[in-house]
Amino acid sequence: MNSAQLEIQLIASLVAVACAIPGTFLVLRKMAMISDAISHSILPGIVVGFLITHDLNSPLLILLAALTGIITVVLVEYIQKTGLVKEDTAIGLVFPALFSIGVIMIAKNADDVHLDVDAVLLGELAFAPFDRLIIDGTDLGPKSLWIVGTILFITITLLFTFFKELKVSTFDKGLAASLGFSPAIIHYGLMSVSSVTTVGAFDAVGAILVVALMIAPAAAAYLLTKDLKKMLTLSIGFGIFSALLGYWVAHWLDASIAGSITTVLGIVFLIVYLFAPTKGIIAVLYREKQQRTEVSLLTFLLHLKNHDEISERHVKHLNEHINWQKVRSKTVLDLAQKNNMITIENNIVSLTEKGDEFTSKAIDYIITNEDAQIEDMKDDFFLFRG
Amino acid sequence: MKQKTAVKIDDLTVAYNYKPVLWDIDLEIPEGVLMAIVGPNGAGKSTLIKAILGILKPIAGSVTIYGKPYEKQRQLVAYVPQKGSVDWDFPTTALDVVKMGTYGSLGWIKRPGQKEKKAALEALEKVGMLPFKNRQISQLSGGQQQRVFLARALVQNASIYFMDEPFQGVDATTEIAIINILKELRKAGKTVIVVHHDLQTVPEYFDWVTFLNVKKIATGPVKDIFNDDNLTKTYGINYKVSIQE
Repeated sequence: MNSAQLEIQLIASLVAVACAIPGTFLVLRKMAMISDAISHSILPGIVVGFLITHDLNSPLLILLAALTGIITVVLVEYIQKTGLVKEDTAIGLVFPALFSIGVIMIAKNADDVHLDVDAVLLGELAFAPFDRLIIDGTDLGPKSLWIVGTILFITITLLFTFFKELKVSTFDKGLAASLGFSPAIIHYGLMSVSSVTTVGAFDAVGAILVVALMIAPAAAAYLLTKDLKKMLTLSIGFGIFSALLGYWVAHWLDASIAGSITTVLGIVFLIVYLFAPTKGIIAVLYREKQQRTEVSLLTFLLHLKNHDEISERHVKHLNEHINWQKVRSKTVLDLAQKNNMITIENNIVSLTEKGDEFTSKAIDYIITNEDAQIEDMKDDFFLFRG
Repeated sequence: MKQKTAVKIDDLTVAYNYKPVLWDIDLEIPEGVLMAIVGPNGAGKSTLIKAILGILKPIAGSVTIYGKPYEKQRQLVAYVPQKGSVDWDFPTTALDVVKMGTYGSLGWIKRPGQKEKKAALEALEKVGMLPFKNRQISQLSGGQQQRVFLARALVQNASIYFMDEPFQGVDATTEIAIINILKELRKAGKTVIVVHHDLQTVPEYFDWVTFLNVKKIATGPVKDIFNDDNLTKTYGINYKVSIQE
């Protein structure tokens, strides 16, 4: 690995972390689409900044472009507040308008500026090591690294300082307002950080793919944890992992780095979506199947409780009277036996003490919907876990 | 003995997009009452609470808490929003939600520590939710979620409690548990203001009531003003309630 490769990977990782942090809160606030809007509508800001500074890495350009991001948010909210269109429509109206202004500005000035639409959309991470920060003849590394590093430092500082405020205003805006934590200040603070990060990351991964870096790691982490801090950590982890693996995929395939990183992000999300322990698709399907079996079990136990007659408790009776298929009957019988809820003697089924108690409790719960007495049952049975 | 006034509202008007939802409300809530705010859907009950707490900006009028504006008295007030107003899939635990009640006294930047945790655990204990402290909030039943919200208000150790429909979607046991805690709060000299829907339980649960339908219809002790006349004025139909003795 040469130093340029190392630098690219470092930049990509820092970008991923800088995106994952605001991204987590955007996902929790159901504002993923806003990041899409910001990432596109910063374009005119970047072009104006570039015409003034002639340097894609200038702090002035970043601030100008971030300002366009904030303007986007304000415009979207203004249009939405009129009550004439919904939020998604407002987003769909604002960002193409601003983006197209940027596209026209690039086209009109194409002769003077080294900025083309491809670079804006997809980024030029591979070239990042060539544009270096040199002070008094000393090479301090790629400019992008410094830009992204600074943005990340600010983001992390803000996150640690205002973690509590971010959490409460994201979870419960009303409470936050009543406690004196102005949701508006926190909202625009988050929007500012998102805008600045988007501009900083845009150089590396482009306007379209920065959205993936913000949303995909957070969406995957959301499926895996019940703790906000862990969700942030996981998002960051997924981001770094995808950045590094994406870089090497691009290396092997000789393809776009940004494209490869995004593809890896997509695959990471897909894997989590399928295999997440409780919220994943497979877990959900398994749980539904178990719940069906448990309902059958309960039906069966209740039947036994209600009937003392031997004819009603014969194993064969299940097929005939409760109208179940053989396979289903067997599954239910096995499950009941495994849990020591029934005994079978000469093909006659009887409830054990445990089975009897279980049935009463379960029926009680279903009727009263009171939780207290079935807490210990939740561990064994899906049916009682909300 | 004249009671102190906990909340005083003068000429309060609140509008959404220039359409008034609360019109010229004058209201004095005496200290130490357990008060229900009743009125039909769209009467502005939640809006009234939000305007008192500065969450919504009124277009006219003023609100004072013990004689001073709300911004100066935040520490005295606890708020329980409607359960449906938050996302219960948010990645957090019951204990963490209750801890949020301590954020107000901490102010900006400062983080909750051992003292806040202890207070939160005590509040969870009071509402019977201690065994569930580490459970993710989406894994709680509707009644349990409401208890967590109540614990979060209790931890604020306020003088005035505002609650927006605390009995919505909770089971009977939880409803009784909640009302008992509210009655205890009143006994301790606190003022409790509840947006309430079930007219049948008003005489049993509350000692003070405000009828609201965009304008204030009536306010006072339940035994004096909770009658068919005021109900009809508020709900617009001929209302008959049988008040249980």
